Amino acid sequence: MRMDTVIIGGGLSGLTCGIALAKRGQRVAIVASGQSTLMFNGGSMELLGSIGGKTVTSPLEAIATLPQSHPYSKIGAGNIAALAASAKELLADAGINMEGNTSANHWRITPMGVAKPAWLTLSDHLRIDNLDNLPAKRVALMCIRGFFDEPNGMLAQGLRDLGFEVKAIEFTTDDITTLRRSPSEMRASSLAKHLGSNNALQRVADQINALAGDADIVLLPSVLGQNDDNDFQSLQAMARKPLRLVATLPPAVAGMRMQTQLRHYFKMLGGNYLMGDTAVSGAFDGDRLTSITTAKLGDMPLKADQFVLATGSFISRGLVADYERVYEPVLGLDVDADADREQWTRFNILEPQAYMGYGVATDGNLRCSKQGTTIQNLHAIGSVLSGHDAVKMGDGTGVSMLTALAAAQSILA
Amino acid sequence: MAERMQLCNLSENNFEQCTKCSICTTVCPVAAVTTDYPGPKQAGPDGERYRLKDPAYYDKMLKLCLNCKRCEVACPSGVHIADIIQRARMRASEGKRASLRDTLLANTDLLGTMANMVAPVANAALGLKPTKLVMHSVMDIDKHRTFPAYSRTKFETWFKRHAAATQDAYPNHVSYFHGCYVNYNFPKLGQDLVKLMNAAGYGVHLLGKEQCCGVALIANGLYKQARRQGNVNAASIRQAVNDKRHMVLTTSSSCTFNLRDEYPAMLDIDTSDVRDSIMLATRFIYNLVDEEKIKLVFKQNYKRRIAYHTACHMQRMGWQLYSIELLRMIPGLDLQVLEQECCGISGTYGFKKENYERSQAIGSILFKSIEEARVEAVATDCETCKWQIEMSTGLPVENPVSILADALDVEATRQANGLK
Repeated sequence: MRMDTVIIGGGLSGLTCGIALAKRGQRVAIVASGQSTLMFNGGSMELLGSIGGKTVTSPLEAIATLPQSHPYSKIGAGNIAALAASAKELLADAGINMEGNTSANHWRITPMGVAKPAWLTLSDHLRIDNLDNLPAKRVALMCIRGFFDEPNGMLAQGLRDLGFEVKAIEFTTDDITTLRRSPSEMRASSLAKHLGSNNALQRVADQINALAGDADIVLLPSVLGQNDDNDFQSLQAMARKPLRLVATLPPAVAGMRMQTQLRHYFKMLGGNYLMGDTAVSGAFDGDRLTSITTAKLGDMPLKADQFVLATGSFISRGLVADYERVYEPVLGLDVDADADREQWTRFNILEPQAYMGYGVATDGNLRCSKQGTTIQNLHAIGSVLSGHDAVKMGDGTGVSMLTALAAAQSILA
Repeated sequence: MAERMQLCNLSENNFEQCTKCSICTTVCPVAAVTTDYPGPKQAGPDGERYRLKDPAYYDKMLKLCLNCKRCEVACPSGVHIADIIQRARMRASEGKRASLRDTLLANTDLLGTMANMVAPVANAALGLKPTKLVMHSVMDIDKHRTFPAYSRTKFETWFKRHAAATQDAYPNHVSYFHGCYVNYNFPKLGQDLVKLMNAAGYGVHLLGKEQCCGVALIANGLYKQARRQGNVNAASIRQAVNDKRHMVLTTSSSCTFNLRDEYPAMLDIDTSDVRDSIMLATRFIYNLVDEEKIKLVFKQNYKRRIAYHTACHMQRMGWQLYSIELLRMIPGLDLQVLEQECCGISGTYGFKKENYERSQAIGSILFKSIEEARVEAVATDCETCKWQIEMSTGLPVENPVSILADALDVEATRQANGLK
């Protein structure tokens, strides 16, 4: 089977690249080995949150100071603003409404109640533009009885530390109580499915209206809308106070929603999304990749003019570490990683870990290499790239989207 | 060395690979509609740890699993979640007899053989209200269900009378595993395949001996019988592949998945030597067109708007691409590809009285998306999805092979492939 471009990996970077190409009329196939880490996303995108332990307030300025090995430097610090603008536009086209800008970071709130710098946040989720000027004073934190995925005490304390007056209010409804019959699965996604049906939302609104008291704003765990923000809009219409969602522990409804909307948009543009299939090897002709073989398509390889590697980092098995080495498992590409295993990790897990910066080696154009030869038609994008640390720098989703768009531009050029 | 030691510690079902991320539970169609089912993570890898300690930890609610395999498709760590659950059910059922209802539902070929002989009577009787009420109350088969109509003539009989004699004249040859549905209920699908393959220059042949693939037997706990029939099929397939050098084509995604993957995973029948030679006809045909070995010419005036539904087992096999891309070759066919959702029938599951409501609740997302697609028909590669979607949406549901055969300009295709 022949495509214009085949993308290995169906997460945020793969989908972003696939959409950008399909939109321009390309025949694209994405091979997705199960669901991606986008399912763990609490509803925000980040561009750059921290350098050397210092919080970044103006990401564009900070990006200009990054070393040449960082993916942002490779796609050109001067191009970031334009790429970020098209990323935001692409999300909106997919139906994902997010707010924020590249000139100044805002703050997202983690399930633990910690404020972290962010670039974009879903418009129905809590976003704080300025920590010295909070958007509200009195907060009613609605806590669902028996819900697994929100450490309410820590969240409430974290919000108080930021300066909010927080009233944590436990509540339930008859039908949410029924859900608790399955004690192991009182999870965000189960609630989102349940609240999206019947009249369950009205009962939640009744509770909010009865219990929120004098709050300026009502916070609810992010358990609304696996496919879109319609349920949030309905609840807001029924609730008498302004409402915002706060991120839960994963798998997160916000991430599922973004994944679903992006995949849906990609398919709508005619893209082929091969869910649950895995690329296992590739065939090369000199400095070109000619086809890849997948576990399920078997002896009928996927041929294409261009290929994109968007397989993610260790957690997604885009990189593998064994007792001897760090390697890229699908195509055996060159990687940037320490040969000495002692250097991979530090004993204190809170310190920056060297392995987080490992990834496939690319040239200034994000093209991969194999045994020192640059593969002319193979770009790498997203978390599989070396030279950045998503945990310590807060740049994971930004690198995913922006390198995806840069690779798409390069392919279309 | 250390690496190899680790491999030795992997179980057959690789449940140690589970990272507890819970993504499987978010895509489980059963957990979405009932709190009685603990969800695939708990029923699969989590529960397996307990069951290994003591089989008494077996949770009887595992019977609610549809075996749709959506959990396996979603798992980022490649854990065989549904296989773990099915194996646990199998162990728990050892020494127990399946109920008469389950045995009857599972024996699609026995039921088919009896019904074919008296097809008009059987169809009429099965459709009658009193019969349905008796089946509902005595047999626990839900009264809302209509049994798929039985054909008066089996596909095999039709083939022997009307097709067999001309097949040897074609330059190329394939074998066909038609399955129970084509044989007893809907011979037209088999006839469509013969029409399509013949026009492309391929003679179609039946297997030496074909029995029901056993997908329903496995689902209903009749493992011994499934293994017996599986061994007969495996031998026939080997004969076709090894002696005649034929590919073995199919037109049902669930039969195909069963023959290729469930035989080794559930029944310990090793089919690895012939696995690559068993495939859906759409995959085989797509590849012939792609490699320019055959040409398909379609009618000029064909015009339809159709939605494609990816059956759960089709997605598990990862082959929807072939059916979709083949259908896209038909000029005049406006194809809407639906988001993958479970239709809720899962073979015989939805026929059981105790499952009816759950089955319809599961399917409701799909039915709504079909309604919103505003199409005149639905295409899918699975016959039980077909019954469920037809009953629940009122729209006709067709196999992609039938749509291709219908849109095909037979004479022009024969000429394009060098036939007279």
